[in-house]
Amino acid sequence: MDYQVILNGETYNVAIEEIDAHEEPIKAAAPMPQATAPAIGRSAEHIRQKPGKWNILHQDRVQRMQAAARLVQAGKIVDADNTVALIETIIKPGDKVNVEGNNQKQADFLSECLSLVDPSKIHDLHIVQSSIALKEHLDIFEKGIAKKLDFSFSGPQADRLARFIHEGKVELGSIHTYMELFGRYFIDLTPRVALVAAYQADKNGNLYTGFNTEDTPVIVEATRFKQGIVVAQVNEIVDELPRVDIPGDWVDFVVQSPRLFYVEPLFTRDPALISDAQVLRAMMAIKGIYAEYGIQRVNHGIGFDTAAIELLLPTYGEELGLKGKICTHFALNPHPTLIPAIESGWVSSIHCFGGELGMEEYIQNRPDIFFTGPDGTLRSNRAYGQMAGHYALDMFIGGTLQIDRFGNSSTATMDRISGFGGAPNMGTDAGGRRHASNAWLKCGDEYGMKAQLTGDMPRGKKLVVQLQETFREKMAPGIVDRLDAWDLAKKAGLPLPPVMIYGDDLTHLVTEEGIAYLHRCADIEERTAAIQAVAGYTDVGLEANESKTRELRQRGLVRTPEDLKIDTSRANRSMLAARSVRDLVRWSGGLYHPPARFKNW
Amino acid sequence: MKAWEELISSSFYEATARQRAHGLVDAGTFNELGGPNKRLKSPHLPELGEAVSFDDGVVTGVGRIGARPVFVISQEGRFIGGAVGEVGGAKTTAIFQMALRLHDKIAKKYPEDASLRAPAIIYSFETGGVRLHEANAGLLAHAEQMELIQECRGKVPVISLIGSKVGCFGGMGFVSISTDVVVMSELGRIGLTGPEVIEQEMGKKEFDSSDRALIYRTTGGKHKTIMRDCSFLVDDTIGAFRDQVKTLLNMPYEQLKKYRSIGSLKLVQEQLSLVALAAVLQPKDSTDVWAHFGNDNPEGIPDMELEEFCRKAKLRHREVE
Repeated sequence: MDYQVILNGETYNVAIEEIDAHEEPIKAAAPMPQATAPAIGRSAEHIRQKPGKWNILHQDRVQRMQAAARLVQAGKIVDADNTVALIETIIKPGDKVNVEGNNQKQADFLSECLSLVDPSKIHDLHIVQSSIALKEHLDIFEKGIAKKLDFSFSGPQADRLARFIHEGKVELGSIHTYMELFGRYFIDLTPRVALVAAYQADKNGNLYTGFNTEDTPVIVEATRFKQGIVVAQVNEIVDELPRVDIPGDWVDFVVQSPRLFYVEPLFTRDPALISDAQVLRAMMAIKGIYAEYGIQRVNHGIGFDTAAIELLLPTYGEELGLKGKICTHFALNPHPTLIPAIESGWVSSIHCFGGELGMEEYIQNRPDIFFTGPDGTLRSNRAYGQMAGHYALDMFIGGTLQIDRFGNSSTATMDRISGFGGAPNMGTDAGGRRHASNAWLKCGDEYGMKAQLTGDMPRGKKLVVQLQETFREKMAPGIVDRLDAWDLAKKAGLPLPPVMIYGDDLTHLVTEEGIAYLHRCADIEERTAAIQAVAGYTDVGLEANESKTRELRQRGLVRTPEDLKIDTSRANRSMLAARSVRDLVRWSGGLYHPPARFKNW
Repeated sequence: MKAWEELISSSFYEATARQRAHGLVDAGTFNELGGPNKRLKSPHLPELGEAVSFDDGVVTGVGRIGARPVFVISQEGRFIGGAVGEVGGAKTTAIFQMALRLHDKIAKKYPEDASLRAPAIIYSFETGGVRLHEANAGLLAHAEQMELIQECRGKVPVISLIGSKVGCFGGMGFVSISTDVVVMSELGRIGLTGPEVIEQEMGKKEFDSSDRALIYRTTGGKHKTIMRDCSFLVDDTIGAFRDQVKTLLNMPYEQLKKYRSIGSLKLVQEQLSLVALAAVLQPKDSTDVWAHFGNDNPEGIPDMELEEFCRKAKLRHREVE
């Protein structure tokens, strides 16, 4: 049979031996196919269908599976020692490959094996994965195994990634938010092969992903339902799983990793490190925003500012009589700092994007609060978490590195490409939202530019709040004239500066000087004046006009701690419901087991 | 400064050096000597382009507990990790000398009950040891303090209080253990070489400095109590430390001096026997040592609350009582 193959933009006619596509021949004893499987040297997706031929991807899959059959032991199990050989057999040059790199869970053994393949056999891969977290994730670009990258978040590899892009080792596709990249898995970035991670598998390939399910369902579904191949590394192979998170017929190979997969305890904040200034900002946020709007459904960004808010609910929040009125429903990772609020009866429900090390037993014992399976353990799912955070919340609140005079904010610095993760999906007003809530309606009602945009039509607005110190570590200003993101974009050749939250989405800015209610402003000049009013002694703040600031305070567009009637002398650590990780363990009744690095006992 | 009553109930671990100094003695009695208004600052740091502190990182002064004059030395970890430099060291030795002179005066005036009227020194450690920017002067300060501690013997009780963030490391680990009594909280740490330095020199396999639980098992208050380097383990409040000091000051000197870890041939021999034990036992973790001293469930010790620990933990038997 002749097929058209596109190589480097040119079309060739290539003959491929016909294969019976009706049988999925994974048998341990299956002989090596003659004709050395795919006669084509490029990924199957480059094959353009001839009319009437509709299962080329499937045939390509079958060929790859047949070639790998010799490596399979019982069921779908491949010995860890054969993993490199497996990867060399099932991946072809130019393939789109997903190496499961989540916010927390990492398919680290498979990633290492991918970095050990022969670059003369496997090269020019197009990596599509959400997080670039491990050294090996970038090593494959240095070795020429991979060439192009589409991703969301790079965290610890941010500086090396920036260098690789600059040196031309990485051809950058785009930097996405999680949900955006997941979306593209189902449109134009569908992985040909996915290397994923799970806690446990049985010999039929059923997977238990448990607490850290995270991205696995999305990756596996996108890959397998477009005739791709799925390999899972697991911590152990068992006869019976606690529950099935991924059905076995969506998984092609299972490798028992020689070591447990790496999980980063990303959301543990030690209360001992919360500063008095953070307590002040938290008090302001609770009184000036949560209470003012009656915020019940919320996502907290990662950081010490939001940890302070969580730890003030049972103390300051209680004192203001807010229990049951705010913070009842969360889209949130299992933050240990939320334990005191949960234990004090503040919280009705928490849906998690991922898990958190040490919170397993606590979550298991609070099934009314968390989403747990029939087996009693948490199942996270980042795609659903992002969806919930985007559409079903009334507020996002979090910190950032830099905010400019227009309210645009970014965590980018000159030499690091750290990407976005999920924050922009939380920190944005979902245009498709149609259901109303009091908080959403009030914020929309106050929107100073609404009349110019939608006339007299009522519409709500999500609150998007940034907590910012006027000066950060090493006296770096938190509010700047121009974001470093501009310089980064220029240096790395990005099409636009990486902005975490755009100014038109930002409704409130909280600094230790006060709260700017930006959405209440009538135009961009007024917004800038409100930002200047709370920017303290930064260059932006020094441009504030005293009489304008007074006017903004009178009109309630800016409110200082004094305007909010907050006694700043009380803003210190003694307000916190827990002041150490040990206190959190006590609050949990011994159900929270923090990782050793957080234990000072 | 918080009100004194509030200081008493606040965390010793989180308190500043000045808060500790004020809270440890009776309300309103602390007089700072060589305080920030005197601008006693390091001459070396500006040469290196480093910031100075007007108290050079140590609060010194005198107050009262009951009728007893109590001299206070309180190190501030927020300034260069509480490291000891020339000026701070001189302020500290001056406190020792003042206490000794006052003792001699009182002993002359009240020869019968000098021991219950004599001044005491409480030393609240929060330090990584020598300040490397001025290491020679810092080392000299260590040596002077060791000598002065010996001069104080039989005259001025010297009490170490350890429960602050930085802990008590480097040469100051030696100094703290040479005093008459060591009082710690669970959060206090004593050691010689700090965790990061051990890892840097000997590798992560020998000591993983990111494993805070390991650090506390090796240097923390509970371990030091089981090993009898620390005589009293108290709650993490300034008031709990203060109460322990009050109790100690009411003891006759003869009883107080029994808490010493060094200072006699017998005590030195006892310390050496511990070195020999380590060679035999080859412990992989502190839990091995705790088990050796008769603790059935050594893994459970870190999670015990103070009260349970004091009730249940088996301590090393002291040869010299």
